[in-house]
Amino acid sequence: MAEQAIAEVETFQVTLMIRRFDPEADQEPKWVDYDVQMFGTDRVLDALHKIKWEVDGSLTFRRSCAHGVCGSDAMRINGRNRLACKTLIKDLDISQPIYVEPIKGLPVEKDLIVNMEPFYKAYRDINPFLIASGTPDKERLQSPEDRARYDDTTKCILCAACTSSCPVFWTDGQYFGPAAIVNAHRFIFDSRDEGAQVRLDILNDKEGVWRCRTTFNCTEACPRGIEVTKAIAEVKQAILRGRP
Amino acid sequence: MSVVIETPNSPRTRNQANWEKYGWLFMRISGPLLIVLVFTHLVVNLVLGEGIKAIDFAFVAGKWADPFWQYWDMAMLWLAMIHGTNGMRTIVNDYTERVKVRTALNTSLWAVCALLILLGTLVIFTFDPCPAGAAADLLPSFCPALTS
Amino acid sequence: MVTMPAGTLYRGKVGMWSWVLHRISGVGIFFFLLVHILDTALVRVSPEAYNAVIAVYKTPIIGIAELGLVGAILFHGLNGLRVIAVDFWAQGTKYQAAMFWAIIVITIVLVAAFTPVHLARVFG
Ligand code: HEM
Ligand code: SF4
Ligand code: FES
Repeated sequence: MAEQAIAEVETFQVTLMIRRFDPEADQEPKWVDYDVQMFGTDRVLDALHKIKWEVDGSLTFRRSCAHGVCGSDAMRINGRNRLACKTLIKDLDISQPIYVEPIKGLPVEKDLIVNMEPFYKAYRDINPFLIASGTPDKERLQSPEDRARYDDTTKCILCAACTSSCPVFWTDGQYFGPAAIVNAHRFIFDSRDEGAQVRLDILNDKEGVWRCRTTFNCTEACPRGIEVTKAIAEVKQAILRGRP
Repeated sequence: MSVVIETPNSPRTRNQANWEKYGWLFMRISGPLLIVLVFTHLVVNLVLGEGIKAIDFAFVAGKWADPFWQYWDMAMLWLAMIHGTNGMRTIVNDYTERVKVRTALNTSLWAVCALLILLGTLVIFTFDPCPAGAAADLLPSFCPALTS
Repeated sequence: MVTMPAGTLYRGKVGMWSWVLHRISGVGIFFFLLVHILDTALVRVSPEAYNAVIAVYKTPIIGIAELGLVGAILFHGLNGLRVIAVDFWAQGTKYQAAMFWAIIVITIVLVAAFTPVHLARVFG
């Protein structure tokens, strides 16, 4: 071992317990443990990479940007929904194994990958696009105050951490879920948009906002720090009022 | 080159009326009313005076001699039963998957609710504080002395 | 290696646990209410029948259970107000955790104050 003048980045041994499922071999998911040597600067995503690249190439998970932008790698880490790329290993209790599971309430396809289609379906159902009449020559202007009204809900990256943390969504998967409501909120309170009534009507559904039980799991899960429960409360109030 | 997207997605329309909004509102209106009704009920019956020790037929008869408590208890009965049953309906809807099971449970819930509201209301308003032939020491003090 | 048959329990925070408690207390109170309407209806049968059944409420075991019932009603009622605050008060989502702990403290204090009074009557 060479003595080095520069302080080394500390390394440590961690155990990952990963819930794995191979649809071609397994009847049910199973826990598999991996010991890996990681750096203090590493994230859970780096540990998954290390396992996939050096230990078991069949480990399957989604990631794209690796920097908290694309929303591909939401998973349940130590019992809570997180982005693997935004979760530093040193922030977790490494004296214990780190449990990594797929997000809950969506069909598992393989290992940490779930079928996101039901989640996207709810998103599409709330009309996630600007509905505005006329064809302006320039951009549609908006005051800073009007823009601020829905600023929080523009930050969503559709990672599904919120929807798959919701106990109501877990029951039957029919509930629209927090993410769809957040993205409806983004347009309902946009002063340029003219489709608020339509979206309020869509969410005034048996499976709409009234199923929310304010458990705050969504707000705590959101990697973008969106106040999800608050956005849902604002949509509920808008439906009662009959306008945004 | 510009792309024109015409009505990229047709709005989803609901084909059935739904009462979820009203159920949700009812829980939030009946809740605070129940706080007043139920918490007062607990204080009057379990804290003041002799509390649980004092509760017997004469105690109930004494309370219901006053229409104020008759209407109080009726309001509590109605609101608590409807609130509780609607809450149970939410839970049934959450945890049942098959439509048949769900319908059966919800129908039973509302049947029980209607039955108990009817029974309770009848009991409150057809109540006789001094039933003929009952032992005098079980009755409230205002009953006329029995002669039979 | 299989160490846990199912997935882990979701580690939600006070919002989730307040909902679990609200739901359990709501169901508990509901079933008690059904019984309570039926036992009260016995006043229409006869003073003896009513008094005989009410005597059960004064036995030690049921007497102690009543403390749990009172606690469940207090928690459910106060947490119901918290849920309403989250839905309608602009600051509700910000203070939801603080409100939860306030409710727990109030419930414990009130049950603790009621316990000696009530048990003295049950055992007295
Ligand atoms: C004492 C005053 C009460 C208040 C302030 C209150 C408040 C509430 C509120 C606001 C909800 C809706 C919760 C939500 O949407 O997440 C609720 C649900 C419920 N309540 Fe009450 N309630 C009270 C008394 C009762 C009583 C007496 C019963 C039983 C008969 C009861 C049974 C239920 C049930 C079963 C639910 C459904 C729980 C769920 O969906 O998770 N409540 N209550
Ligand atoms: S609201 Fe937050 S948690 Fe939900 S999908 Fe969007 S970014 Fe993910
Ligand atoms: S990989 Fe893109 S958000 Fe984590």
